[in-house]
Amino acid sequence: MSAATLTPQAGRVTGPGVSFPRTLNSEWIKFTTLRSTWVLLATTVLVMVGIGLLGGWGIASGMEQMEAAGQDPAAAGMDSSLLYLMTSGGLDFGQLIIGSLGVLLIASEYSTGMIRSTMTAVPSRLSPLFAKALVVAVVAAVVGIVSSFITYFLLQPILANYGREFGLDVDHLMQSMLLSGVYLAVVAVMGLALGSLLRNSAGGIVTLVVLLLVLPIVAQIIPFDWVQDGVMPYLPSNAGRQMVMLETADGDLTQWQGGLVMAAWAAVLLAGAAVTTKARDV
Amino acid sequence: MIEAQGLVKVYGNKPAVQGVSFTVQPGRVTGFLGPNGAGKSTTMRMIMGLDRPTSGDVLVNGKHYAKHRAPLREVGALLDAKAVHTSRTAYNHLRAMAATHSIPTKRVHDVIELTGLGAVAKKRVGGFSLGMGQRLGIAAALLGDPQTIILDEPVNGLDPEGVLWVRNLVKALAAEGRTVFLSSHLMSEMSLTADHLIVIGRGRIIADAPIQDILNNRAQRVRVRTDRPDVLTRALAGEGVSVEAREPELLEVSGVAARAIAETALAQQVLVYELTPLQASLEEAYMDLTKDEVEYHSGPVADVHDHAGTAESGRHAAVAAGAGQEGN
Repeated sequence: MSAATLTPQAGRVTGPGVSFPRTLNSEWIKFTTLRSTWVLLATTVLVMVGIGLLGGWGIASGMEQMEAAGQDPAAAGMDSSLLYLMTSGGLDFGQLIIGSLGVLLIASEYSTGMIRSTMTAVPSRLSPLFAKALVVAVVAAVVGIVSSFITYFLLQPILANYGREFGLDVDHLMQSMLLSGVYLAVVAVMGLALGSLLRNSAGGIVTLVVLLLVLPIVAQIIPFDWVQDGVMPYLPSNAGRQMVMLETADGDLTQWQGGLVMAAWAAVLLAGAAVTTKARDV
Repeated sequence: MIEAQGLVKVYGNKPAVQGVSFTVQPGRVTGFLGPNGAGKSTTMRMIMGLDRPTSGDVLVNGKHYAKHRAPLREVGALLDAKAVHTSRTAYNHLRAMAATHSIPTKRVHDVIELTGLGAVAKKRVGGFSLGMGQRLGIAAALLGDPQTIILDEPVNGLDPEGVLWVRNLVKALAAEGRTVFLSSHLMSEMSLTADHLIVIGRGRIIADAPIQDILNNRAQRVRVRTDRPDVLTRALAGEGVSVEAREPELLEVSGVAARAIAETALAQQVLVYELTPLQASLEEAYMDLTKDEVEYHSGPVADVHDHAGTAESGRHAAVAAGAGQEGN
């Protein structure tokens, strides 16, 4: 029994030490060995595809009815470009699930005590945080892009009923579909950072929802110009939406600008998380 | 080897650890004994770099824990049996921990076998009993085959077989020359497991001595049942002897050996129908130490931790003083 199977050691410790790639591997194992990860990822794909298909079908049938009634759908804001956007039409809901996944990834470690095992194995503290950010960002991007393409391919037979199918060669369509993955990646990192800052699942998710959904609504009803022009466009979800647009209107943020503004939100939150992770007791 | 120098930890304005210094030597089991809330876990978290000391310093294997190149191979710790994600299986938990140091999967299987987790390794940790959780924590601590092992309350929740297993395991690890630092509030368990004892109370070191010294320094008590307690009490009276009447015919005598009591009784022609030397248990010794804490704390104890790590004999003297007071 007992220590007979342990090798006694003398003097210096040999064998591999801690490194970022090893920490990344560990975080990947942790990420993939939780059932909740797979449930949330599958839900994200289902919800995003489902909303995209419903949206595309609704718009196409609406356009047909208006044309049958002799109206111009474009006058009501319904044209092909709106259909194109439906490839990532589930982004608003998908971001909440992916963002929650980011929050849970680290907040659940604090709530279960796992974080102490994590920080004991990798005492530099920042590596596990950044490794988690990398894992969740890459997975979120893949989920976003895969969802967009599944939506695209399932949407075409539906749109064909209305004669409104479109090809992947539509200008900026592929770019938009790929950037919807980037959008989810940035939201996932924001969620992770909030989960790390607050160390609490519910608090992190609520704060994320406030940032992504509540603030834009609140800002919209404040009638000051400086809010409308100086705040509204720079809120994370508003800036992010510009990033996945096929075309941006003059005076609005361009895709690039929107993407950078959104990434800045994530970078600031992650930097805050890094500082508190380093400073606070575990 | 663990070296703590003047460790202080204050949470808000509530001091948890107040200037603790000690050295845990390799090759023996060092027990860290104290009531709940005495500062044991806080001290251990500071050793592992999870809590930053308010002041003071602690080195493990000669460095700050976080400065080690391969910390899991240097130090293995069970700090909290619940330091595991409840939705993950034991096997996957250990695999993820091992991955940080490229510890091979074979070693993961080895520690699962070693800790007797084979049957439940593929089950989610949330369904584990407290005892299985402890075994998983110990498995994680042993993953890197570390030179120093720190276990916080390892026998909590274990069944008798598990307690015996931990006892033998830590003794075997110490016998291999490793540093073993074990906390507990169960004094009886410590008396069976530890070679050396660091007693902590209210965030301060009360005693730091070999366990035998702590036991020996306590006055021997003998339980005597006799139908003439008054006569025997008078006959035994003398310097350093205390006789307490516990029941009408029951005395508890300290300061006189059982044989001497029997001889006195024989000389006095007093019938004695029970004569039981009471083993000075660590539990009692511990109660004595903590009971005296308030009385002699301000003076001599300050001495104890000021010199800890260098003045071994000074600390023994303090222990003796603590136990001595009791035997008046």
